[in-house]
Amino acid sequence: MTIDTEPLKSVSDIERTTLMTFLPGRIAGMLGGRRWRSLAPLAVLVVLCVLITIANPNFIELRNLVRLANSAAVPLTLAMGLTFIILMGSIDLSVEGTLSVAAMVVVLLAANDSNGNDYGWWAVLAAIASGTIMGLASGLVQTMLRIPSFMATLGMWFIGLGLSVYMLGGSAIRLNDASIRDLALYRFLGLPLAVWVALGAFVLAAIIQYHTRLGRHILAIGGDEDVTKLSGVNVVRVRIAAFALAGFFFGIAGVLAAAQLGQSHAVIGDGRLFAAVTAVVVGGTALTGGEGGVVNTAVGVLIVTVLANGMILLGISPYIQQTVQGLMIIAAVALSLDRARLKIVK
Amino acid sequence: MKETFSIKQVFEGKWTQGAIPLVLLVALLLIIEIAAPGFLTGETLSLLFANTAVLFILATGVTFAILLGGIDLSIQAVASLASVMLAQLLPSLGFAAFPVAILSGLAFGLLSGIVHVKLRVPSFVATLATGGVVTGLALWVSNGRAITIEEAGREKTAWINATISGLSVVVLISALIGVVSFLALRYTRFGRQAIAVGAGEPAAWAAGINVDRTKIIAFAASGMLAAIAGVVLAARLSSGSPVLANQLLLPAIAAVIVGGTAITGGLGGVARTAVGALIISIVRIGMTFVGVNIFLENMVFGAVLIAAVAITIDRSKIAVIK
Repeated sequence: MTIDTEPLKSVSDIERTTLMTFLPGRIAGMLGGRRWRSLAPLAVLVVLCVLITIANPNFIELRNLVRLANSAAVPLTLAMGLTFIILMGSIDLSVEGTLSVAAMVVVLLAANDSNGNDYGWWAVLAAIASGTIMGLASGLVQTMLRIPSFMATLGMWFIGLGLSVYMLGGSAIRLNDASIRDLALYRFLGLPLAVWVALGAFVLAAIIQYHTRLGRHILAIGGDEDVTKLSGVNVVRVRIAAFALAGFFFGIAGVLAAAQLGQSHAVIGDGRLFAAVTAVVVGGTALTGGEGGVVNTAVGVLIVTVLANGMILLGISPYIQQTVQGLMIIAAVALSLDRARLKIVK
Repeated sequence: MKETFSIKQVFEGKWTQGAIPLVLLVALLLIIEIAAPGFLTGETLSLLFANTAVLFILATGVTFAILLGGIDLSIQAVASLASVMLAQLLPSLGFAAFPVAILSGLAFGLLSGIVHVKLRVPSFVATLATGGVVTGLALWVSNGRAITIEEAGREKTAWINATISGLSVVVLISALIGVVSFLALRYTRFGRQAIAVGAGEPAAWAAGINVDRTKIIAFAASGMLAAIAGVVLAARLSSGSPVLANQLLLPAIAAVIVGGTAITGGLGGVARTAVGALIISIVRIGMTFVGVNIFLENMVFGAVLIAAVAITIDRSKIAVIK
């Protein structure tokens, strides 16, 4: 949440001349400015892979790489959606709520051990649609009620979570539809279908960002919302569309998560928001918006997944993962924030 | 047209924004009293207060952050970690486990504040990140399990569950925290400066207020109060767990906003949060009473949060709503 305060700009700028404030910027400067900064995440990924391989050669075994790809599928799909929101300079905290709604819908409509439904792939469509509707609702709430996105989506997070837990009756319900389970079990060219779906989501997101008007407008809003508005872009409509688009990706991720787990339960979304936010910001998409994109995020997802996998290989307690991710968010945001554009940080 | 305009004006008046939650609270109490006579007796009311205590302590902490125009999304993690530390350390440290658990909250609150202010990271991301750090530590320390406070430890937490002349100690603790926080906001330099920073940061800075320090103190206070809430919760449930307080983040923030503190900062306070916490508590009891499924609670609170934010927010302070 940033506030532009032109009259006091010069005063605020002087205030920020403290060592702590400039240190991260200086480190980024030493790394060689903007172009190098955009390559930094890739370098981190490579270094990480090399270090883990030296410590434990099992890392580059084919079996482990497939496992890595498999565990990256859901975070990649989620992070694709979240990237569009963060590119606008907003945030979507409803990731876990929307994902659990989609997982709930697919499990309850496909063959399951709780009711007699058996709609097959219609259930998948319904799940993705429900995710999109949740996103649409977030967008409408944010733009129509004019409240900051982190509050609007915080509310939607718990609305989604409450709805899915209520519909599941507080218990875990198994997914028995064999063809949907195949998303996780059937392998094409050695990789589970879920990985191909996630790659498809990545390609789709890349096309939307680089080759459609919507993608351009989202980037423009993140760059400068006022200018975008003055240029004749319907900012409200773009914002709503972006949130719906994010919900669409969260819906796909919900289906994948349900297929991978073979069930849906109250905590299916736990920790997913965190991993997704980490992936987006570590990939180099600035929280201030307008900088970065889905390709950055793909690298970010790989960094997060490789690190998680590597920590397991090195025998580090998996519980400490969130701690590491938290520190990564802080480091990445501190290094990437375009501080010149921030007059006040709230 | 004219009518909607005047309603809008009523909602936006500062005086009415403070009064509406209070009116709502009284109305809710009356509705329940009419529906179930005998609700407004000393016994049920003291039970209500006891059940609201933990929520109120958490909400008081986050009030500091929201008054400054920020937000603290790490309170549930800090409270859970404090509960784990209390349960883990009681056997070895005895009573010293209390200050250690509470100081851990202070430390992580400080960390949030420093990351937010010095690294210039927006507070919702800074606290989301520290929340993750803290959750990871809590999971690690407890090995992902709930830790039961054994018989020997329970002797040392018994005082929290005791009652003094009819009032439970939990209520007294929360009342003490409420009064201290109220006085701190109203009569100390820190409190006045915090409200000034929330009301208008550039002006506060220009007036010579140390904005950075004020913010760090506020986040430290938020962390410490969250830890106290975690300790009280652990003592009441005789167990500590890394997910103990996870369900309390939303109600705590909702309590602050419903009470009439604007997320844009500068307007509101601890007294309003007390009203908000009671409203949330009564709505929760009322829902169970009316027969609303307990799993739907989160949905209701999510919707209430959005509505309350939309009403209390001061849009003139935000040039672009992101």
